[in-house]
Amino acid sequence: MSVDIKNVSWEVNSKKILDDISLSISSGEIITILGPNGAGKSSFLKIISGDLKCTEGQIYFDQSNLDDISIQDRSFIRSVMSQSQDVVYDFSAREIIEMGWLDRGISSYSENFTEAIDQISEECSVRNLLEQSFNTLSGGEKRRVHFARTLVQLWRPSGSDDPRYMFLDEPTANLDILHEQKMMKLIQKKRDEGLGILLILHDLNLAAKYSDQIALFNDGKLVDKGFPKTILTEDTLSTVYGLKMKVEKNPFRIDYY
Amino acid sequence: MLRSLLKGSAFLQYANPLQISILIVFIFSLILIFFSSISLGSFSFTFQELFNGGSESLDSIVLFEIRIPRVLLAAFVGASLGLSGASLQGLFRNPLADPGLIGVSAGAALGASLIIVLGSDLIPDFIFGTLVLPLSAILGASLVISLLYIFTQGFGYQGITYMLLVGIAVNAFASVGIGILTYISTDSELRGLTFWTMGSFGGSSWQLIIPALIIISLAMFWMIPSARKLDLLQLGEPEAYRLGVDVKKLKFKVIISSAVTVGISVSLSGMIGFVGLVVPHLVRLLGGVNHSYLLPGSALLGASLMMAADLLSRILIQPAELPVGLITSAIGAPFFLWLIFRIRKA
Repeated sequence: MSVDIKNVSWEVNSKKILDDISLSISSGEIITILGPNGAGKSSFLKIISGDLKCTEGQIYFDQSNLDDISIQDRSFIRSVMSQSQDVVYDFSAREIIEMGWLDRGISSYSENFTEAIDQISEECSVRNLLEQSFNTLSGGEKRRVHFARTLVQLWRPSGSDDPRYMFLDEPTANLDILHEQKMMKLIQKKRDEGLGILLILHDLNLAAKYSDQIALFNDGKLVDKGFPKTILTEDTLSTVYGLKMKVEKNPFRIDYY
Repeated sequence: MLRSLLKGSAFLQYANPLQISILIVFIFSLILIFFSSISLGSFSFTFQELFNGGSESLDSIVLFEIRIPRVLLAAFVGASLGLSGASLQGLFRNPLADPGLIGVSAGAALGASLIIVLGSDLIPDFIFGTLVLPLSAILGASLVISLLYIFTQGFGYQGITYMLLVGIAVNAFASVGIGILTYISTDSELRGLTFWTMGSFGGSSWQLIIPALIIISLAMFWMIPSARKLDLLQLGEPEAYRLGVDVKKLKFKVIISSAVTVGISVSLSGMIGFVGLVVPHLVRLLGGVNHSYLLPGSALLGASLMMAADLLSRILIQPAELPVGLITSAIGAPFFLWLIFRIRKA
């Protein structure tokens, strides 16, 4: 089970933002995209989410072409978290989390709705925030609430083997180190439950610690992909980031000046 | 029983018990105001007379041919303005959005002004009689919707801000037309124009309102089930799409239903300010912001308030009448100011 991205290119005003990128996101795997600003990471995430249509190439979710999957069906197999916009009206955090399900009635798990909300709020440690007004929460708390919503969207009773994917654009932005580690561990837990997860991160060490695969982007191209320790070398990183890098082997650690 | 009926409606599954209670109170006050409105006025009926059906013929003509159509029209116009105000504020994610914003009222106003000023020159015998003014206003409103549709490539092009800007341009364009018509009008036409822009439910008849009531009801029942999708839209257009909302379809539904209901309302009753802006705020203040509660709540409260405003317009200086738009603005404006201060404090 995997999301297969085949030779995807994306042009805006005849400028190539993404250039012939092929990548697979497999179930039970965390793959992290790294790269400098403007490398095309977020555009890539938007294209595989279906927000934008690529100019060339194909995207398959478990062998079905993304174009042939309805908007409603897409929401059942993949959830996306990116930089969120402000919410104008005064919703409670619980209401925001509940928005993970467009329609309680439509899903076959309707009767588990409360159970799902409770379980996920506990996992994301937002239980004490549920009845608070979303707009009064801090940036990090808002982020955790949005993450809980992203999890609610893909919630299944335990033991389910429905293929599901999560695309997360800098999920740990604004989080303190405790909640950063908690969230990354939760992402690993979801991987172990069989989700395929695509991350965009800026922190190289965080990526090295938690990813199964790394894809390095630069200038719209996929520079290299593979296991963190093989990809994250001093030479490659220095070229991509234009910054002096030092990689320590034991324990694995990247420093830059 | 009413509670379980409301609870059973699919779109209300996200409304909490408090919100359901508020909706029930709204329904009862609607009924109460409806009966007060048809019994009070320069021609009064006691409740007993109402239920006996008005024994004398003049009474029953006043009641059935003048009073009831008028009160019904007021209720439906209020519901249209309240509902489209609430859904547009949701769609534009802006609490200051108003049914006038997308330019539909301006289009209707242009159509109406054309008939008020040039009608007797264009159509010598007033072929359609009393229907010509509303028809022309509806034509104006439809023209604006079509333009909006073309400019935004089926409401899909770019973000919702783009539509807002197109609406502003259309508004400006319509005011130029109305300005020119005002400039060339005679004194009596100018008077007609001015009164029309202040709104009134006078002169309603069954013949005029039955098609309007049917179309408005259809548009409302088409729109209200989208409430949940409007909630999700508050996370932003891309987020709503990722959660399974067909955003383009939703925009289409909200814009078309608002345009139709507001276009028809303005055509039949003139410009009535502040209801579409203020009613949704009042409803949010009472019970919460989710659209499953907000949309029906705004329709119900809009209807009640509009009937009450019309009642005031009829009894304040009887036997003469105040334009109802004056009353809604006179009450709406200070309330709106209070609202702004309240928001600033919070």
